[in-house]
Amino acid sequence: MMPGRNQTPRNQEGAKKSKQFTYFMKRKLVVLFLMVVLCFIGLGARLIAIARENGEEYKRQVLSQQEYDSTTIPARRGEIRDRNGTVLAASERVYNVILDSKRVLQGEEKTPGVIDATVAALTKCFGVDANEIRRYLRDNPTSQYYKIAKKVPYDRIAPFEQLTDASGDSYDENVMGVWFENEYIRKYPNHSLACDVIGFTTSDSRGQYGLEEYYNQVLSGTPGREYGYLDDNSNLERTTIAPQDGNSIVTTIDGNVQTIIEKYLREFNEEYQNKARIGNGAQNIGCIIMEVDNGNILGMASYPDFDLNDPRDTQRLIGMARVDEKGKLLTNEYGRKTWEAITEETLPEIEADNELLYQNYNALWKNFCIVDTYEPGSVAKPFTVATGLESGSITGNEVYQCNGFLHVGDHDIKCHNTYGDGAVSVTRGIIISCNVAMMHIGQSIGSNVFTQFQKNFGFGLKTNIDLAGEARTVGLTYTADQMRPTDLATNTFGQGFNVDMIEMIAGFSSLINGGNMYEPHVVSKIINSSGATVEHIEPRVLRQTVSETTSARLIEMCNQVVSDPEGTGKTARPAGYMIGGKTGTAETLPRRNGEYVVSFMGYAPADDPQIAIYVVVDRPNAGLMGQQADAKYATRVVRKILTEVLPYLNFPMTEELSEKEQEELNELRAASVTTQQGITAEEENAEAENGESTEEGTTEGGDTGTTEVSPAEFAENARPVWKDFERDEEGYYINPTNGNRIDPDSGFEYGNDALDETQGQVAGVDANGNSIFEPLDNEVNWP
Amino acid sequence: MALDRSASAARLNREETRKNTEKKQAATEAVRARFHKEYYADYSLIFVLIFMLAFGLVMLFSTSSYQAGIDFDGDSTYYFRHQLLAVLLGVGAMFVVSMIPYRIYRGKIPMIVAYVVSLASVFLVLTPLGYTANGARRWFRLGAISVQPAEIAKLGMIIFLAAYINRVGKYAADRKFFWIILLIPLPVCAAVYGLTDNLSSAIIILGIALLMLFIAIPDYKRFFLILGVLALIAGLAVLVAWTTRDNPINYRFRRILIWLDPEAYASDRGFQTIQALYAIGSGGIFGKGLGQSMQKRFIPEAQNDMIFSIICEELGLFGAIAVIVMFVLIIWRLMIIATNAPDRFGALLVVGVMGHLAIQVILNIAVVTNVMPNTGITLPFISYGGSAVLLQMAEIGLCLSVARSIRVE
Repeated sequence: MMPGRNQTPRNQEGAKKSKQFTYFMKRKLVVLFLMVVLCFIGLGARLIAIARENGEEYKRQVLSQQEYDSTTIPARRGEIRDRNGTVLAASERVYNVILDSKRVLQGEEKTPGVIDATVAALTKCFGVDANEIRRYLRDNPTSQYYKIAKKVPYDRIAPFEQLTDASGDSYDENVMGVWFENEYIRKYPNHSLACDVIGFTTSDSRGQYGLEEYYNQVLSGTPGREYGYLDDNSNLERTTIAPQDGNSIVTTIDGNVQTIIEKYLREFNEEYQNKARIGNGAQNIGCIIMEVDNGNILGMASYPDFDLNDPRDTQRLIGMARVDEKGKLLTNEYGRKTWEAITEETLPEIEADNELLYQNYNALWKNFCIVDTYEPGSVAKPFTVATGLESGSITGNEVYQCNGFLHVGDHDIKCHNTYGDGAVSVTRGIIISCNVAMMHIGQSIGSNVFTQFQKNFGFGLKTNIDLAGEARTVGLTYTADQMRPTDLATNTFGQGFNVDMIEMIAGFSSLINGGNMYEPHVVSKIINSSGATVEHIEPRVLRQTVSETTSARLIEMCNQVVSDPEGTGKTARPAGYMIGGKTGTAETLPRRNGEYVVSFMGYAPADDPQIAIYVVVDRPNAGLMGQQADAKYATRVVRKILTEVLPYLNFPMTEELSEKEQEELNELRAASVTTQQGITAEEENAEAENGESTEEGTTEGGDTGTTEVSPAEFAENARPVWKDFERDEEGYYINPTNGNRIDPDSGFEYGNDALDETQGQVAGVDANGNSIFEPLDNEVNWP
Repeated sequence: MALDRSASAARLNREETRKNTEKKQAATEAVRARFHKEYYADYSLIFVLIFMLAFGLVMLFSTSSYQAGIDFDGDSTYYFRHQLLAVLLGVGAMFVVSMIPYRIYRGKIPMIVAYVVSLASVFLVLTPLGYTANGARRWFRLGAISVQPAEIAKLGMIIFLAAYINRVGKYAADRKFFWIILLIPLPVCAAVYGLTDNLSSAIIILGIALLMLFIAIPDYKRFFLILGVLALIAGLAVLVAWTTRDNPINYRFRRILIWLDPEAYASDRGFQTIQALYAIGSGGIFGKGLGQSMQKRFIPEAQNDMIFSIICEELGLFGAIAVIVMFVLIIWRLMIIATNAPDRFGALLVVGVMGHLAIQVILNIAVVTNVMPNTGITLPFISYGGSAVLLQMAEIGLCLSVARSIRVE
């Protein structure tokens, strides 16, 4: 800096000392400069502080303010169609009406009348309140994004677009500042049809459950984007990246088959609801129809169902067994499940608690056919016989003596018929569903081979069906080293291990189609939005389970379950057709609780199986005194379904129709829908005409010629012991030794379970039926 | 320092010449020395200033192009072109003013003229020439050019006060003259505030007077006293504003309330402040890059008072501090000129300009960073505003004129 001495007092007007910039002034100037610098340092510190302390928050704020500039254009979600092209799920385009106040007000400034014209057009086309728009325009003059109407269909948009179309006749140049935003809503034209298979979407178009969830990626497509940018002249330009619409999927489901199935599941529910206790006709009832030679699922349904267009309708929960916040069934003080049904009275309580409501929704939305596991019961017997034949452990010509029980390990494991079935061949073991014969076969097979074949049939393995939420069943079957003799014995007749429906029917299909294990699947084709096929999903053979010979012998046996007078599945035969199959009545845990899972697994036509059907009635609403243990709950449903499905699928009738059956069919044709009462009545008559069907015993001579048991041996059993018992006022026979009631038709002894508490071991499940693999379900204290 | 060294070098050379009788070299050195004596221009000041103007234009274009596109039907260069014109005129004005010997303003008559012009120009807004924009009658039109009289008043008051203090001389320290000097600008301030509703310009004029007086007299005590009283008044105002914040009638304190809690008034006047803070905070260290500001579409009048926040957003803390350093450089050069000014009048002129610059920059950045309530102060040389840039350049020209008359022996 220049020192003061360099200042020269040269002043043209005669310099005085006072006119100079003196030393103290310079000093003060430096002080002033330092003060200014200090201020700047303070401000610099303030800047740094803002950037450091609030930088991240402000960055977010800045980005969040940009929304208007970058909007997502939703992609149209693909359709879900059935095999005939019927649309099961589709997305419909709707529009949000957006008001740009700034534009309207700018327009008004240039040409008065814009506001009036625009408001009038909006009111006319969308029915919005004119005063409300005016108020909004006044209060938010700079707003450029205000949804004045949401999800408006196109037919209401079209008249408005004509007003703004410069080439149209009704063009009004004063209407401006309104634009439309695309959105899609998911529509399910058939409401509850195949609800468990299809699943639904959330409001932001994410698939939930079923196909919507499993194929979410395929269906959803890629959303487009519209964003603003500044061009060379700094105008806000908008550019659009078009959305890529999602692919559609064509399913193997046949809408008509599906409709028929659901009709009869619903009918079953109507018939039995609130019968023995308040609630649905059964805890669950499921049905799968599948093509045996390719694994295509033709129909899959379970009850309770729900409307896919309104999945959160709480009315649908009524009648279902209530679950708690953890998704577990309610239990009594001993930790036993109570199956308390949701009623109108308890519904508000559930609706009030979000978590509780969600868990109950989950119970409604889940697909019983692939999610729930249970002990299959006697429908597992064909697998046991197939294992014996295929492994060479039995020849199929063996005859066993059934005395009503078999002593295995430390236990006597009973047959259904406490008095014994007498001499039981392998075939008759299937026909009359004899536990003792199966246990003998099991002993011949041995646990190593038995468990190996269980794996081959797919028990304890996921089927990998293309639906979301398939149960994980690993650990629900025994391994050879864990399997004790009693476990092997109970496993042979389908107790002691858990399966789900899809596993069962996939394995059964392989037994009857010559041994080819197909992966079950629901989707056959993926097509893009313009209709071209993107992917064919071919049937996939996983392995050979049994030989063709074994398969043929099993078909022969299972045919007799339906055709043999002694057969347990006679009531499943539809009018005009011969089918084969196997019934199942499984005790649930805890043992002796009077709750059963009854089922029928069959196929048609009998001589050349094309389709397999499996119906499971989980704990029919029929009392706890053994009334539930009747496979007819399932066989009747099968019969009704097949009576309609088989003609629909164009299978030629092979059997002569009785007069009753003819009448029944005529009536069915006349009123293909909503004759449930009539059909039920017919059904019962038809049954009565069929004569006394027997489940565990036989009335007529038993030699069918297909077994090698001598007629003399059967003669012993010609008249079952229980026919001599006294009858009570309701017509039931009473077993004098234990007081149990015996069904006069089937000879089934209620309350006479094959298993007692000590034999209640089920792989991977505790004594109350709680899976030990699900942590949620594992808090029961056994007293 | 440079002048000093060359001067002594010249002396040494002369002695050498005498000793060695190398007359030719002596003559050359003498010519060089004369050169230095006669032409002195503060090149570092000019360089920084030109850099600042160019930088300001770039930032102004970046900030205003979006708004211009909307306001003028796609003409996104509107603000830029107008500012460019003003800057070019300003450079011309700076050159012309720097060529006029500043001493002609020293006399009694120029002093009175400066005062009258300052006051009269403000009153022009009341005449049909007056022109209203953004709800404030702050301009008058001369042909196609709109002029903000407050800017004229600032320059006029700097000239007037420099001349007056120079005239009063050492008596300025007397209590009587001290108060006279502080009170004389008041009518102009009142006019600026009352007629054009421009509180910030009024405050700046008072501030300039205070700073010039601070330099002119040896006393410190009185200034600390004044500062203390001002701080007390400010504190009281904040207190009153806060305690009566629920009273809707008390809207005069609104600015203070908004300053205290801008988020609570985000839908109102606090919007500008908050958006500016967002811009500053989101810039980070090196910013989003030139032209990448997202906030320029949200900050009202971004090209005016709030341009500094856009600088922060696009160039980050680095750019912001660079701008501050440039202002410090300019102020430093002005201080050097004032220190070396040949007489007190020249020095006071430069001090006035320097004070004006310093006050305006500090207040602007303080407003943008919400250190003080929002008053609407522009950033010199950078903010949009033709008359402001023109007159600020003229002020610099005045300083260069003073610098030109610095004599080097």
